[in-house]
Amino acid sequence: MKRRFLSTLALVLGLMAAIGPAAIAADLTDVGFIDQSALGNLPAFVSANQQLAAYKAQLNGQFAAAMRGARTDADKQRISLQFQQEFSDKQNELVGPLYQRTQLAIANVSTSKKLSVVVDKRIVIYGGQDITGDVINAVRGSQAMASPQASPAPSSIGFVDQSALANSTDVKNASDQLQKFQAAQQPIYAARYKNATNEVSKQQVMADYNKAIQDEQSKLLKPLVDQTKTATATVARSKNLLLVVDRADVVFGGTDITQDVQNALNK
Amino acid sequence: MHSINRLYLPKLKLCHLKSRGFARACVILAAAVLCGCSHVDVHSDKVRGVAYVRVDDVIKHHPLYPQLEQLNNAIASINFEASLPHAPLTPAQIAAQTKDLNAQLQAAQSRANAVIASKQQTYGQQEHDAEVAAVKAAGIDPAAAGLGQAMNTTSQAQAQAAAAAAQQNYAEYQRGVIAQDNAAMQSIAQQLSKAADDKLRARAEQYQQNESDLSLKLAQEDSSQRMALRTQLSTLALTADQRKSVSDQLGALDKKEADQVNALRAADAQALLAYRKQLGEQTSAQIRAQQTSIQAQTGAKLSQRRDAVGAQLRGLGAAPVATASLPPDVRRRLGQIHQEYAAKFQADAQQAVEEYQATKSDLDAQFAALHGQGVTATGAAAKQLRDLQKRQNDLQMQIQNQIQREAVRLAKEMGFSVVFDNVQAAPGGYDLTNDLIHDIESQHE
Repeated sequence: MKRRFLSTLALVLGLMAAIGPAAIAADLTDVGFIDQSALGNLPAFVSANQQLAAYKAQLNGQFAAAMRGARTDADKQRISLQFQQEFSDKQNELVGPLYQRTQLAIANVSTSKKLSVVVDKRIVIYGGQDITGDVINAVRGSQAMASPQASPAPSSIGFVDQSALANSTDVKNASDQLQKFQAAQQPIYAARYKNATNEVSKQQVMADYNKAIQDEQSKLLKPLVDQTKTATATVARSKNLLLVVDRADVVFGGTDITQDVQNALNK
Repeated sequence: MHSINRLYLPKLKLCHLKSRGFARACVILAAAVLCGCSHVDVHSDKVRGVAYVRVDDVIKHHPLYPQLEQLNNAIASINFEASLPHAPLTPAQIAAQTKDLNAQLQAAQSRANAVIASKQQTYGQQEHDAEVAAVKAAGIDPAAAGLGQAMNTTSQAQAQAAAAAAQQNYAEYQRGVIAQDNAAMQSIAQQLSKAADDKLRARAEQYQQNESDLSLKLAQEDSSQRMALRTQLSTLALTADQRKSVSDQLGALDKKEADQVNALRAADAQALLAYRKQLGEQTSAQIRAQQTSIQAQTGAKLSQRRDAVGAQLRGLGAAPVATASLPPDVRRRLGQIHQEYAAKFQADAQQAVEEYQATKSDLDAQFAALHGQGVTATGAAAKQLRDLQKRQNDLQMQIQNQIQREAVRLAKEMGFSVVFDNVQAAPGGYDLTNDLIHDIESQHE
């Protein structure tokens, strides 16, 4: 009886060891998030953006007048670049100092709370530390802000710059081909749409058109997207990251793996 | 624990069986459950309390998704229809429709200004009455407090706000009218230039046809002679001199034809040049005439608007301010009344401005479409599009909010510390998507 009990106990312990937690690992608690739209609603930002909008309206008039005087495509390009630069300079002048102050505030608050990554509120469904209020208070304060003493700790959350990856020649070529395909298909389906006699037929033409575009998109872009996802997952695994998000959603910290993913894709 | 229980409870019922083998199995199973082994080990090295959801995929399983898809299709349909090429308009049609759009814009601005002025008047009077009542309630004579027939500082502030709004409207109107008229001029110039190009091309084609006809006619006229000469050339018995003579005759025949055709071609080229010059002059004159007419219209529109704004501003005379020394509590009450009516006026004025802006956006889109630049829906289609987009946004929000609530509930139950959306890659963490889909679907079964 005793032997049977011991054997059962051994079996239970063995089972627990086999199907219990693989390792005792600390849960991820160094993730913060911030509501960037709340920051954008601060009076200082609203005022700067209003000034920028007024400047843009004024610049648009000057731009249109300058373009009317352009004789060649080169002239037009030169004028476009000149006005873009003027707008960018004004943007830096009006919003730049505020943006820098906000970045410093986020860095300081994150460091004091020992956060390794701060993301935009939009991508956090549950959990994480909300630092919006602290950052707003720091930005509103009148005192000068120093850079944080320490860099953020290495994070298990990685990020990849999707826009940089989308700038690759392959993706651009595929996008161009898709646009050409769409431009070629539109008149064909437009004619069918015009000839459709009732709503049901029109809906059918629309559905056919959308399917044609989606099929072409799958043919041209999906292989590239899959390739990028695979490369991202492989790099992330090699760096022991838990998750990878888009750079556009990361406000502070995190582990940038964009270059590694680009290297993997170029192999 | 919700999903864990769902998974294991039926199995635990087996423990009611009496055999020792089954009892041992039950002990093992219970131990497995007690040690927290479900289909996910939330705190393992690979998960570390982190989960993610592919919200876009969950939305597709929501019971309201078919409705959302219908709205998306309806929106896409309107946008597709708006992007279809339309028959080009003549300069006269463009000018007429431009005039109509400008009239609509002017009416919208007048409407907004009238609403603002009317609200200013109404709230000014209401505030004045409220202040008189407040002062009377404090046992003070309103006239002595400077609250006779006149309105107080709020009215003044409202008058200033209305004046500023009117000035801003005028500035916007001025910019809009000038931009639209410039675009109209450009469009008319393009249309006229295109018409001139078409005429020139038609004339050039006619000349080419004439030249081809002459060439063919001459060739036909000389065909028998040419054939005779060629037949002679093919005769082997010809002497060298005879052969040269026949060749020369053939060459002379070719030259005669070529000279006639070239003469016609030169005359045509000259006529075409003259025609091009004539068309250019005509087109320039037409463009100048249209420009003069449009500029005159622009000047008249701006002048009319300036007069209207001036009249409106003159109607908003400033009011004297209450000067009597009032007790602090009465001054506080008057301050509250001022704040209250100023806020009401601001809200109404804001609404009037927003309505005007919406109308202006639509008219701008119609204007762009008129000049072949727009690809968005306009007029009634634009209104339908806005309604559909609002319904689509509301429904999308409703679905997302429910998904969010369920995700939070599941995350708490399963013990996650953080849950993300929009993840690009996930070598670790736990994918909560399928649990959420199951949860959402089961709630609506």
